[in-house]
Amino acid sequence: MKKLIAGAILLGASSMAFAQPGCGVGAMIWKGQSGIAPHVLAATTNGTFGNQTFGMTTGTLGCQTNQSVQSMAMYMDSNIDKVARDMSRGSGENLDTLAVLLGVDEADRDAFRKVLQDNFATIFPSSDTTSGEAVDAIVALLEQNESLSKYVAA
Amino acid sequence: MGNMLRIGPVLIWLAVSLPTQADTSPDTSELHLDPAWLTLIHYQPDTFGDGYTSQADDPAFFLSENGKQSPKAELEATLTAIRKPGKGDDHARCQFPARTTWLQQELNLSLPEISCPGYQEWSETLNTETVTLVFAASYLNSPSSMFGHTFLRLDPPQDDNETNLLLANTISYAADAAAHDSELLFAYKGIFGGYPGITTVQPYYEKIRLYSDIEHRDLWEYKLNLTQEEVDLMIAHAWEIRDRNFDYYFFDENCAYRLLALIDIARPGTDLLGEVSTHAIPSDTVRWVVDKNLVSEVHYRPSAATSVAYSLSTLPDEQQTLAAAIANGYVDADADEVSTLSAKQRAHVLDATYDYVRYKSEADGWPREIAAPLSHDLLRERSQINNVSPPEGPPEPVVRDDQGHDTFRLSLGAGQQAHREFTQLTLRPAYHDVLDPPAGYRTGAQLQFLRLDARLYTDNNELQLEQLTGVEIRSLSPRNAFFSPLSWQGGVGGRRTDTGNDRVLTPYLEGGAGGSWSLGHQTQAFAIATADLEIDDDLRRGYDAAPGADIGLLHQNNRFSLLAGAKTKAWIVSSQHRQDQLYAKANWHIGREFSLFAEFTREDHYDRYQSLWQAGLHAYF
Repeated sequence: MKKLIAGAILLGASSMAFAQPGCGVGAMIWKGQSGIAPHVLAATTNGTFGNQTFGMTTGTLGCQTNQSVQSMAMYMDSNIDKVARDMSRGSGENLDTLAVLLGVDEADRDAFRKVLQDNFATIFPSSDTTSGEAVDAIVALLEQNESLSKYVAA
Repeated sequence: MGNMLRIGPVLIWLAVSLPTQADTSPDTSELHLDPAWLTLIHYQPDTFGDGYTSQADDPAFFLSENGKQSPKAELEATLTAIRKPGKGDDHARCQFPARTTWLQQELNLSLPEISCPGYQEWSETLNTETVTLVFAASYLNSPSSMFGHTFLRLDPPQDDNETNLLLANTISYAADAAAHDSELLFAYKGIFGGYPGITTVQPYYEKIRLYSDIEHRDLWEYKLNLTQEEVDLMIAHAWEIRDRNFDYYFFDENCAYRLLALIDIARPGTDLLGEVSTHAIPSDTVRWVVDKNLVSEVHYRPSAATSVAYSLSTLPDEQQTLAAAIANGYVDADADEVSTLSAKQRAHVLDATYDYVRYKSEADGWPREIAAPLSHDLLRERSQINNVSPPEGPPEPVVRDDQGHDTFRLSLGAGQQAHREFTQLTLRPAYHDVLDPPAGYRTGAQLQFLRLDARLYTDNNELQLEQLTGVEIRSLSPRNAFFSPLSWQGGVGGRRTDTGNDRVLTPYLEGGAGGSWSLGHQTQAFAIATADLEIDDDLRRGYDAAPGADIGLLHQNNRFSLLAGAKTKAWIVSSQHRQDQLYAKANWHIGREFSLFAEFTREDHYDRYQSLWQAGLHAYF
């Protein structure tokens, strides 16, 4: 199932084409000049995106071996403002989407939301935080959490 | 994980391979005229003659050289191709799974098993259980978006907590316009053809980002009641046309049209395309889909702009002022004025302010140096308030866009102009003016196309073309402490103009810009600076131009609409006379099918006073 979701997300990046699953996908997507942005721009009709509060990934994420973390990273990259908003509120559909992408069980969702809200300032230390840095911080936080570490295990 | 077991249409057509007389050729003499076949290959009857032509503009879509014009040749070529030995993605059965499924069912064909890895992976990844038609409504200050836009969302099975509709895929059909084409070329090619139309698949969250966040358009989600088998056939056909070119035309063969074709294919006999005459306005196509009982559920997703306007409006007055002060940098997010509020109030002020800053960044291009640190402060403060859920979102409008009045209007009236009596017939193919019943349309928005006003003067039985409106756009959107949109208008066409001793038909171009302010719930006052240009050899210098002003009131409710005000135009080139008007126009709405209308204008032009009055009935189809 997770594999399918990852595939579904990647589908957006290249219109009708499918990327191959696995580490190579992440590498391929991140390799672009400024991450996913050119793909996203090419896929919309008006081609202009507004100012993002937070930066897009700088490509520092590298090759994450966990498929679901990669999916989350891609989602964060195009929805960073909304994810940050939901995180600060401790609820919202974008936070639920992160939970789905990481495969967090229903029973652990409350803990997941609480960890992200309580540690907002750790995940986004400044307004210059990129989505890649935020993903790294989320992974580090979840790894330290007894019930949530299993979702980011490599 | 039940969805892993479902591998889409592949199994369906393998399953229907009944072991019957495999090698005898079935009777196919009339099959090529079956409506389902004609729909599958996108054939339409020729305007002249009794043949058919396919709307597909891509040779690779046809298996026969004569396929574009010959349903029969294409059927025979398809039957031959799918029975050929071979395997893999290049086999006709893998390239045309929907045709294959249909032919197998019609003819009880027995075909050997074949694997199509490409198609199988595609349909597995799309993992579709139900299909939702999504309608992007128009946005208030963007009349060009008024026709709306539609696309299909492919919803995965909703049987476990791992499904999420933001991640669902969507199918849309759009003009592949080159970015460097000018707007004029864009319009020309759009109307007369020249852009290839392409099908794209994107995750729903990308669509939400585009329509809801960037274009400020509410989304209406109409879940279709297609069965799994019908959904699979639609997906199979989407595969057949995925990289195939269908030339794009704004008015008829547009985004909405191609989706109707997909629904027709999924459920043969639906014939939504039969509803299309000269144009397929997306909001009308949604009506047809609703009327054909294809919809099981409707869900409303307000745009970011709708949500922020609503959440600001629900704050008490002093907190609205506080939100504006924070957003404009006069008060910090952690200032005393904020921290003394109760946790719930503080959370709601911070939420609304963040959404507002985000909206301003998108809509008005607030610079990142200001918006980003402010947003970060707001979110950091908000993250320290636990267990306060965000405020309720905007309520779903009582009347949906597809439930508003129909867009074709026929009007019959009688009146008097400068003591000459006339009867008037008006045809307006599309779409809405500010006096029409407002339910389901944006307040203060107007878009009219190809409107024709003809008058028969009863004193001498003279039939006159009074006005031909090519296009007329008007957008009156009120300003307040948070939002300061420009109200504007524009129009082009031909109209009767007074030369002092005659009323001659002259081409005109008009435009204007100004502001509008809300006076209570359904009433606004506006002030617009206008400019008019008329070109005709009956004018003394061949043309005339007039700067002017239009100041008035607009009231719109479901029973009654009123537009009243004063206009002045100073014709400065040829006539050098001022034209002053007082006008009042009112409509009484009788349901959404009819309106009674009345208008009165008193005019001072060429140093004489004249009156126009008219009353009659509008009917909407």
